[in-house]
Amino acid sequence: MRLWISACWLMGLCLLIAPAHAQNLVDPTATRTVAAPEDDYSPFENEFDEDVVAVYDPIEPFNRAMFWFNDKLYFYLLKPVARAYRVVPEPARVSVGNFFSNVATPVRLANCLLQFRFPDAGRELGRFVVNTTWGVGGLFDPAHKRLGWHKKDEDLGQTLGYFGIPAGPYLVLPLFGPSNPRDAVGRIGDGVLDPWPYVLDETWEVIAVKTYDRVNWLSLDRDTYEAIKREQLDPYLFIRDAYAQRRDAMIME
Amino acid sequence: MKHANFLYPLLVFLLLAVAAPVCAQAGPQAQLKETVDAVLAVLRDGGLGAAAKRERISPLVRARFDFPTMAQWVLGPQWRQASATEQERFVVLFSDLLEATYIGRIDEYSGEEVVFVGEQIEDRRAQVDTKVMTRSAEIPINYRLVSRGEDWLVFDVIIENVSLVRNYRSSFSEIVRREGMNGLFAQMEQRISELKAGGKAG
Repeated sequence: MRLWISACWLMGLCLLIAPAHAQNLVDPTATRTVAAPEDDYSPFENEFDEDVVAVYDPIEPFNRAMFWFNDKLYFYLLKPVARAYRVVPEPARVSVGNFFSNVATPVRLANCLLQFRFPDAGRELGRFVVNTTWGVGGLFDPAHKRLGWHKKDEDLGQTLGYFGIPAGPYLVLPLFGPSNPRDAVGRIGDGVLDPWPYVLDETWEVIAVKTYDRVNWLSLDRDTYEAIKREQLDPYLFIRDAYAQRRDAMIME
Repeated sequence: MKHANFLYPLLVFLLLAVAAPVCAQAGPQAQLKETVDAVLAVLRDGGLGAAAKRERISPLVRARFDFPTMAQWVLGPQWRQASATEQERFVVLFSDLLEATYIGRIDEYSGEEVVFVGEQIEDRRAQVDTKVMTRSAEIPINYRLVSRGEDWLVFDVIIENVSLVRNYRSSFSEIVRREGMNGLFAQMEQRISELKAGGKAG
């Protein structure tokens, strides 16, 4: 009797494991993956096209120099400060981030309107009203948490892209990082709608506030840049392509 | 007591008879979820050390990713110019690199939830949209899968609109252009050993 039960159990176990994990039983170090796929079907289009994904980067030596500069700035100044600042409890830092994001509403709202995205513009306006009142001056985000109104990150670079203005060559800006002429111009334009220079008298105060926003944001980031540096063969190339992909997608969305 | 002993294996068999066909036909989202849930279960297992976690996650990842397909597309035009041995070597290195990358992130896990948003199937391709919920943000991670036999295998991961294979292709083709295939292999080997060493130290 005992034996029979054990036999049943074993068979049951084998049945349970075999179909789902047949592949797992193969020694993972043996190169199961080397063999070509069982069939020739490729899920990709333009499989062997040349330069399907190249980013135009004629001033690469300059860009790499700026990349190096930003890298040092990050590791020797911004990140240590952000790391020390992490003594502030995370919920408080999330609230600070919400506050800065709420203040920046005019930039997003104007760019939604410029792209005729009226439902998005309406949501941005609604988010501002709800979060400024119910969200205690923008410290909380009940518009998203309770009402499901997502923030729409629009900026002038995307608006220019929406009207068909090409990105132009890749450009790494000191302090600001990956960009291109279109997005750099957009950045300046968005500066006009940024409320901070209108509330603060001195330029250094604006710079201090902007730096604080950045440090706060970095303190919430889970070391993305460190991971890229650790994992990628050439972090410069990775970020160049990721930036181009992301901006293209944001313009389309 | 005797009856209970007798019934239990029977019940297991019945359950399996019902469950097995369902498993075989599971769609891309169900299959991906199975892998993600299994990985999360390992990550949340407080009793396991970092090395044990790595050992368990590795086969899970390898079984769900279509590394040969990814590798082929990542090399793009250079795949055709490469010799058979180079192609084979590249697939091995690329699989190891992706695995080391994925597994290197184990230590960063701090209880994030993965939400499955939905799936779209188009012929033999599918996309499964997920969101990783961190305390301060929702990170959209979309998986593209291809059906191979009974399995749906991942051939691209799109994180915040950035396609992983597209990005690798862009980087790798630059490196091959500058340093040739052997230069690429050397860099990949170095990165793999660094990632593995870093994982052990941390």
